[in-house]
Amino acid sequence: MTAGQVFLAVVALLAFGACLRRGPATARKAAADTGRSLLGMLPIFAVALPMAALLAELIPADAAVTWIGPDSGMPGILVASLAGGLMPGGPFVTFPLVLAFAKAGAGVPQMAALITGWSIFAVHRILTWEYPVLGWRFVALRLIAAFPLPVAAGLLAEWTIRVVPVGLGGP
Amino acid sequence: MPSLFRRHASILLIGAIGLLAALLLWRRDGGGAVLRALLHAWELFLFIAPSLVAGLMLAAALRQLVSPGALGRWMGAESGWFGLMVATFAGALTPGGPMAAFPLVLVLAGAGADRGALVAYILSWALNGFQKLLVYEMPLLGPDFAIMRTILTLPMPMLAGFVARRLPIAWEPPK
Repeated sequence: MTAGQVFLAVVALLAFGACLRRGPATARKAAADTGRSLLGMLPIFAVALPMAALLAELIPADAAVTWIGPDSGMPGILVASLAGGLMPGGPFVTFPLVLAFAKAGAGVPQMAALITGWSIFAVHRILTWEYPVLGWRFVALRLIAAFPLPVAAGLLAEWTIRVVPVGLGGP
Repeated sequence: MPSLFRRHASILLIGAIGLLAALLLWRRDGGGAVLRALLHAWELFLFIAPSLVAGLMLAAALRQLVSPGALGRWMGAESGWFGLMVATFAGALTPGGPMAAFPLVLVLAGAGADRGALVAYILSWALNGFQKLLVYEMPLLGPDFAIMRTILTLPMPMLAGFVARRLPIAWEPPK
């Protein structure tokens, strides 16, 4: 277990302890809720993880290294931010594409920009959820306020990896 | 049940992509490569499982302890950075896809959350939602990268919410 995992587990136990203090009924509800969420997610895991591992084996390495490689700098960060924003679909569909970018030789700052860009701009999510539920004014507010963030994430990552070496790749 | 259909549709789609990848890999590198990939997937699962259980338990416990209405009251126009911080943590801890998160925005707005806090909430959910982090980013890109990106982008929703409060675009929750 990593330090982050231990921290998450401790916080979760504290929160569950707070439920117990409210009374056994509250704790039971929280436990049942946990179980339901877990059962709902296991089928997704059962197909998503093998798919990711198979794709990782399949994709040729270093196909896009000149565009978004570790030495592509600011232009690479811009390209990655834009590419991230244009990627279609939710995480089920998009993370295989993200994996393809990683395998194709993307640098760490460029990947940070790509994922941030996708999280913020995800066009499909705006069209299918945000606009219908919250209206275009909310979409405009959020997009204007968040516009520079993917590039900022890329630059911050670039400075970070000069100090702390962080690589891409599974555990 | 459109959400149920969506869920199964994505499972079918992922399954189909996985099957196709397995076939291509088997033809290119043989059955050993396919087995190796599946074993790797199992190791990934064992690595994520503790965090998954802890994350889901945390979200479930918080749902019992804190009602969205109470949260919304802390996220009003006068709530300052504290309200933006509450919104950011609430967003990161909201499990599930857009069908869960966007309706919650309306609940929070009804309880008094302002546009800046709601922008922070949705951005935080999209950027750093723990479920996406554990299910996709950690296994695919590695825990080092996922943790670094999360730490770097954690304060960003607050900044964006701060900006959104100052933009001259009025927003009222749709009735």
